[in-house]
Amino acid sequence: FNTSVEPGTPESAFQRFPTHVPAYMTLNTTILNYPCPKTPGGITVLRVGSETSCAGDETRPTCNGPLPGPGPYRVKFLALADSKPLVETAWSDPITLRSAQPFSSIAAMGSRHSAGMIALTSILSILLAILLAGLVAMLVWGSDACSGSSTFNKPEAVTVRRYNTHHAYDQPAARL
Amino acid sequence: MAKINDGIRILQGLLVFGNVIIGMCGIALTAECIFFVSDPHGLYPLLEATENDDIYAAAWIGIFVGFALFALSILGIVGVIKSNRTLLMVYIILMLITYAFEMASCITAATHQDFLTPNLFLKQMLERYNKSDTDNNNDKWMTEGVTKTWNKLMLQNQCCGVRGPSDWQEYTSAFRVTHNDADFPWPRNCCVMDAQGSPVNLDGCKLGVPGYYNSNGCYDAISGPMNTHAWGVAWFGFAILCWTFCVLLGTMFYWSRIDD
Repeated sequence: FNTSVEPGTPESAFQRFPTHVPAYMTLNTTILNYPCPKTPGGITVLRVGSETSCAGDETRPTCNGPLPGPGPYRVKFLALADSKPLVETAWSDPITLRSAQPFSSIAAMGSRHSAGMIALTSILSILLAILLAGLVAMLVWGSDACSGSSTFNKPEAVTVRRYNTHHAYDQPAARL
Repeated sequence: MAKINDGIRILQGLLVFGNVIIGMCGIALTAECIFFVSDPHGLYPLLEATENDDIYAAAWIGIFVGFALFALSILGIVGVIKSNRTLLMVYIILMLITYAFEMASCITAATHQDFLTPNLFLKQMLERYNKSDTDNNNDKWMTEGVTKTWNKLMLQNQCCGVRGPSDWQEYTSAFRVTHNDADFPWPRNCCVMDAQGSPVNLDGCKLGVPGYYNSNGCYDAISGPMNTHAWGVAWFGFAILCWTFCVLLGTMFYWSRIDD
């Protein structure tokens, strides 16, 4: 790539990348945006591929359109004076863009049964089995004549003795 | 005056006390399950879209079981005090049926809780959020439910995705089909919003600058209420069943010792 190519010409147009031109120029700005001293705050990141509206617009050769493929790509910075290159950085290392996995590859169904659920199920089953056994035992043995000491509800037969009080008899006349 | 065995008095007292506890726990179970079914956090559309909403079935069963426990506990108290064998037999049979239903509810809630994993919600979110081409009415209903729920979740809890915004970058999604990566690396609701509901700094949000986008995942906001729901139904029901087991055994013993 010849850096003497002028920005804004078809030789450096984004729309002709990568089929017709090996590189394109974009994110052009003026020196006013890089003041000394640096202004505090502000986001010091340049995002390649932000402008989607001009990606197909041939009248905007310096469009910062989305990159066409996964890469790998190289970037460099160029400082120009009167559209002539003044200083430039070296080409960067190759950068490959991330590729997304299809969401169908997520394993959503692998769930192990937790210990709590197994404990709950087994304990409840055992309790229900004991209750049913108790019900059967109750019906089979409880309906028989109960053992003598356990008839709780009948009150004990209470006998009332008749006391012979002496004024219950006809007293003969007291003898002198 | 009739002399009554002290032992039976104690057993009667214990059974009445046990039934009072069962009655109160039945009311509590009904109230708790009504609370869960009312879905205060608005997470039901997510469960509905998994086509496996057994936790809600368990809560519905819990409502009716709680009421049945309350009614049966009153029957039990009357039967014990009157020492009536018929009443107590009816009580025991109906209690066993209620016991079986509540057991089903507890096991369902405990089993279904293991089913709710982060990957399940991640896959569902990627598959359904902002899905544009829906097959039929049912699909459309579930998609709309998932989309609305996620939008509300991300706004209210200041979170993005299940594990984080990188979910939208690592996997393809239905959202990615209609929104390209350059303009929407993640949904707009992941951006920090101002009072009017628009992003504070859209470029900062798209770049991923801390402070302008939500970097934490929403899984805690989803799993917290759902786990409370499942545990509340399963383990409170389990505690009630253990107590009921003891009361029923005591009632069976009591029944076999009285005659009328």
